[in-house]
Amino acid sequence: MSYSTQLRFVAGALLALAAPVAARAAGDLNLFGWSEYVPQTVIDGFTKATGIKVNFETYSSNEELISKLVAGGGRYDLVQPSDYAAEVMIRQKLLAPLDKTKLANLKNLSADFTGRPHDPAGAFTVPYMAGSVGIVVNTEKVKVPVTSYREVFQAQFQNRIVVLNDNREIVSWALKSLGLPINTITADSLAKARPVVANWVKLVKVFDSDSPKTALLNGDVDLGIVWSGEAAILWNQHKKFRYVIPAEGAHQFIDVLAIPANAKNKAAAHQFINYILRPEVSKLISAAFPYTNPNAEARKLLRADELANPASYPKEGKLETFRDIGRMASDIDRLVTDLKSAK
Amino acid sequence: MLLWLLAFVVVPSAILFVYSFCERDELGRVVFSFTWENYQRVFDPIYLRIFVRSIGYAALTTAICIVAGFPVAYFIGRAGEAWRNRLLLLVMVPFWTSFLIRTYAWITILKQEGLLNAVLQSLPFGLGPWDLLYTPTAVVIGLVYAYLPFMILPIYGSVEKLDGALIEAAHDLGAGPLRVFPAVILPLTLPGIAAGTLLVFVPAIAMFAITDLMGGARVPLIGNVIQNQFLQARDWPFGAALGVVFMALFAATYWALLRFRAREDSIG
Repeated sequence: MSYSTQLRFVAGALLALAAPVAARAAGDLNLFGWSEYVPQTVIDGFTKATGIKVNFETYSSNEELISKLVAGGGRYDLVQPSDYAAEVMIRQKLLAPLDKTKLANLKNLSADFTGRPHDPAGAFTVPYMAGSVGIVVNTEKVKVPVTSYREVFQAQFQNRIVVLNDNREIVSWALKSLGLPINTITADSLAKARPVVANWVKLVKVFDSDSPKTALLNGDVDLGIVWSGEAAILWNQHKKFRYVIPAEGAHQFIDVLAIPANAKNKAAAHQFINYILRPEVSKLISAAFPYTNPNAEARKLLRADELANPASYPKEGKLETFRDIGRMASDIDRLVTDLKSAK
Repeated sequence: MLLWLLAFVVVPSAILFVYSFCERDELGRVVFSFTWENYQRVFDPIYLRIFVRSIGYAALTTAICIVAGFPVAYFIGRAGEAWRNRLLLLVMVPFWTSFLIRTYAWITILKQEGLLNAVLQSLPFGLGPWDLLYTPTAVVIGLVYAYLPFMILPIYGSVEKLDGALIEAAHDLGAGPLRVFPAVILPLTLPGIAAGTLLVFVPAIAMFAITDLMGGARVPLIGNVIQNQFLQARDWPFGAALGVVFMALFAATYWALLRFRAREDSIG
């Protein structure tokens, strides 16, 4: 095989990987949402109810959403950022104000999830689902109580821990355990967090944000700090997986629906938001992705065992949402990258 | 061909180059004002250490691919006409399935309660369970698995062209198999090995999915660092600077390889 045929071989392989781009029609709703978060049944139900076709694209981090939104122009009619990402998008005038006259079902939402700091007046965002980041323990393997970050990161659990592969999360846990604020991060607070994080990353076996439950289910680790929705699924599979909100306090996230300022089909976007807010539709989301449902009317339709899931509906615990930290994100990334590679 | 090069090589590289000298705003948007800052960060010891480690992983992967791939390629290349295409097909078959799915299959094999440990423990030697998944060993297994075909195919190309008469001549002149291999076969298949090395080493160094999935993302390689700049840290210019340095490094390696081969040719 000569160099040129090898080149052609590689080029052919690359071309084969390029995905076909779906055709978009004018009346369609272009939805850009998290992967593993919007059930297909809900999308199909919306199309059936309204006749509007939904083009669904997914992302797996808020940063990916933001960068595609600022680069991509008016391709999306509806997006699904988390609280702190919505906050910065509002500040940067990337979101369109909502027309609440078209959202009659807003009344179904619980007041616990509206009027929060990222959008105090609820002028731009509607809560979709909420959750927390907490400790999950395989109680068959770990016999001692583990209820705080410090108790997770003990030498006896070396190589038995899974945590989210998310640098800001990890640094926030260290700050919480030091009693420092997680939303006003300074060079000084990062310096204090550094030795704590350095000790912690040495103990971790797996960093995984996409599916941290896998390592727990496979028996490769015995405890971890994961999304509450992942912990809820673990609990549904086996009651040995116990979820607790860390004693030092935990990160709560509220994922919202919002309409980009330059969306082409704002009418359909409003229709979709209003459809999602129907209790019987919202119930389907809970069934597929057992996060915390902010829809009070939908919660009345949930089964007793769904409401009893301690990961979906924790009884107690101090919860705090993230705020945008701007350029500090890259200092955090540098810190954790440094500590991970030092071991 | 020129248009193809322009669209897929020159323009993206130029964008990368320009971005690498830019700044960013709080949203991570690229701001077009000139700075050296990104390049200063690239040569921070943190990232240099990761560079060196990535090169180590890629070199080990390439070495194992050569050792494991050469006999396979040689066997296929020397097989009868009818068999050759079938055997080559076997090398290509894994490409019919998504790379990620094949990586997940390896997780099923290597995990604590997985296939390999189940087999080990059912044997009467008292072996296992081995702690394989989420270790550097798992990363190397994943890398070798992913890139082995890219080593086999070019070596096969060289072996196929290898003139059997030369080997027979060497035998006739009294050389045993131990002598024939380094004196005849290896030099004649060297172009294939060099091409395979390039095809394996370059992508292996920048791979990030395997380190995340099979290595548990514990030890970052340079591919992970670059990916993070785009997906987590909102720092495209720094990611671009890493990419540019990376490309320069490859260009230098490639150039050195070409020089080496040119010298070989002039001597040989």
